[in-house]
Amino acid sequence: MTYNLFIYLIITIVAITAVMARKMLISAIMLAVASIALSLLMFKFSAPWAALFELSVCAGLITVLFISAVSLVKKEDMALKESRAKFTILPLISGAVFIFMAIFLMPYFESLSGFTRNPEIQPKVGEIIWKFRSADLLGQITILAAAVFVVKSVFYKRSEQ
Amino acid sequence: MTLTSTFSLDWLFAALIIFIGAYCMVLTRNLIKQLIGLEIISKGVMIAIISSGAMSGNTNLAQAIIITVILVEAVIVATGLALLVKGYRLNENIDVKKLDNLRG
Repeated sequence: MTYNLFIYLIITIVAITAVMARKMLISAIMLAVASIALSLLMFKFSAPWAALFELSVCAGLITVLFISAVSLVKKEDMALKESRAKFTILPLISGAVFIFMAIFLMPYFESLSGFTRNPEIQPKVGEIIWKFRSADLLGQITILAAAVFVVKSVFYKRSEQ
Repeated sequence: MTLTSTFSLDWLFAALIIFIGAYCMVLTRNLIKQLIGLEIISKGVMIAIISSGAMSGNTNLAQAIIITVILVEAVIVATGLALLVKGYRLNENIDVKKLDNLRG
């Protein structure tokens, strides 16, 4: 439990830092740190496949995408002036929300744990993906195809005649 | 208040992290930061899913769902950033309030 609490604190602090950071590059790096902490948590919950995906896709690929996008719009990083006050008070607001939720939502979450149903058999991850959740797989393939289509059409280059 | 499991603690932090992401998405005008807020929300959702899976002894199903969530998240971020870069090239801006070309 102490380990979990430690990881949760890291993720929360890193998320607040990512929101408060003045530079987008720091926000992207903080997001990667949050992903690494989350993958450690998934290993703790004995979910190695999810942790592997989290580590490779979220901490790797998405961070690279963010950093490349930030480098492409670097000038705007300085130009967009926003009031800092709403981000500066975020730790205070988060603390207040945490206390509020600990008082009012915690008993509800406790009651939810009474609905636990332990399955008799537990199929493997691959078996679940291919057999039981094949509709998800179809959705994934569709959304990937749609994303490829969008990116291709956004960066369409007309041939000069 | 006595904790019967870490489940309620997991969900408490998941709710807090979702709140932080939503706060970022609602209050910022920067498009990159809005996507970062979306990422933070998805982190909270993943904590909730994996915690539920671990509590009900159904970790493998939770893993399968998390893999789907991660894929959708990566696709959304890639598409969003592509649109952002294209919008920046056209308008020289990533401020959501200035993306009003289609206003009648």
